[in-house]
Amino acid sequence: MEQMSLENSVEIILTPQFYTFIRENLDVKFSYQAKQIAASLFDDYLDPNMEHQYHVNKCDGEWCFFAYNIEEIDQFLASKGIEKHRVSKIYFAQQLVDELEKPIQLSEKNSLQSIDGTVTMIPNRLLNSDTEFQELNFSNIKLNSGITMGASLNSFISLKETIILSSLFFILGAIFISEGSRIKSSIEKEDAVLTELFNENTSYTNSAVRQSVLEKYKKIDKEEHAKRQSIKEISKLLSSKSQLLNLNIDKNKITATIKTTNSSILKQVSSHAKTKKFKSINDGLNVKVEKQL
Amino acid sequence: MNIMTLQRYKNEIILLLAILFALFAFIYKLSATTYVKENQLQIQQQINEVKTVVNLKKQWDGKGMSKKIKVLKSLVPASKVKSFNKKSKKLIASYASLTANELNKLNNKLINMPVQIIHLNTKQSAKNQYTMEFTCKW
Repeated sequence: MEQMSLENSVEIILTPQFYTFIRENLDVKFSYQAKQIAASLFDDYLDPNMEHQYHVNKCDGEWCFFAYNIEEIDQFLASKGIEKHRVSKIYFAQQLVDELEKPIQLSEKNSLQSIDGTVTMIPNRLLNSDTEFQELNFSNIKLNSGITMGASLNSFISLKETIILSSLFFILGAIFISEGSRIKSSIEKEDAVLTELFNENTSYTNSAVRQSVLEKYKKIDKEEHAKRQSIKEISKLLSSKSQLLNLNIDKNKITATIKTTNSSILKQVSSHAKTKKFKSINDGLNVKVEKQL
Repeated sequence: MNIMTLQRYKNEIILLLAILFALFAFIYKLSATTYVKENQLQIQQQINEVKTVVNLKKQWDGKGMSKKIKVLKSLVPASKVKSFNKKSKKLIASYASLTANELNKLNNKLINMPVQIIHLNTKQSAKNQYTMEFTCKW
């Protein structure tokens, strides 16, 4: 083969010296299953010290196994000036089995021909002198099941592992995204409530206004609540044996004087008042209770 | 990097893309959580604040109180109402000869009204008789 220089991508058909071919009738359904046992099929045929890649395809109801060394092919192509990236696809000459009933001449020394269903390289000197060589018209030949150089070089991770791990990461990612969306949407309801409140009370959209109103009314609410609570607590100190003499509420103080009928009631009223945080002063049978508001 | 290298490492590239996808999705989830944590508290605070302001204002702004306050005059016999001066948003009232029952009624009514009690003075004038005077505003 001559040295060449390429401008465009090319497809290569490998002649049999670059691959080892076995045809087997196996009870497997898928090519990946067949590929898994490919290495063991070639055990007796290949140099165990060399690394090999395997390709499997179905041919006439059987499985066709190819073992090849991509480095060897790469070196050969490089020696002929064909750069790796120019090689789009590599096919095996075995795929031309039907087209090579008659030999084609590869060089002055070798020809290619199908012998018993296997494409074989034959030295020209073994052929009859009147052998007619044919010309192959590749435009009429449809080649499929080729290999690419990149895919043939070994990956660190197998395809099966890639599929399993990638699927897991994609599922995990999808879960994270859906969870994130759900979390984000959880705030939307509260946001809508706030918007509605602001629409109903436009003057309170300003935080400073809210704070000022809140300050004013909270103070009133706290003071008035304390006054009312204290009045209720004083009412609870009264009974048939203890009467209210006076009750006075000023700006920040509530005082009441309660008259009791005997000392035990006096003690009782006084102690109840203390539990309600009233300051109590006894004067005879009267108790004066007071509390700062 | 040419096509061949890409093809050689396509498994690794696919896996790397899947890992990156999961990583970005995780970052998105984390940012969503942080965003919600920060804003949810703020929004909730604002809602509570607005609701409190609206409720407090509704309770203490004294709308319609000028009419409602008149009930404090009709709650006891007119003879016992010594004075009942309502000016603007302020009421000064005094009562005499109230029974304990009437005093209770007046007190209960007053403390259940949303008015500010500025001053309240109740005294026993005789056995089972009370005087009461108060000033309130709204």
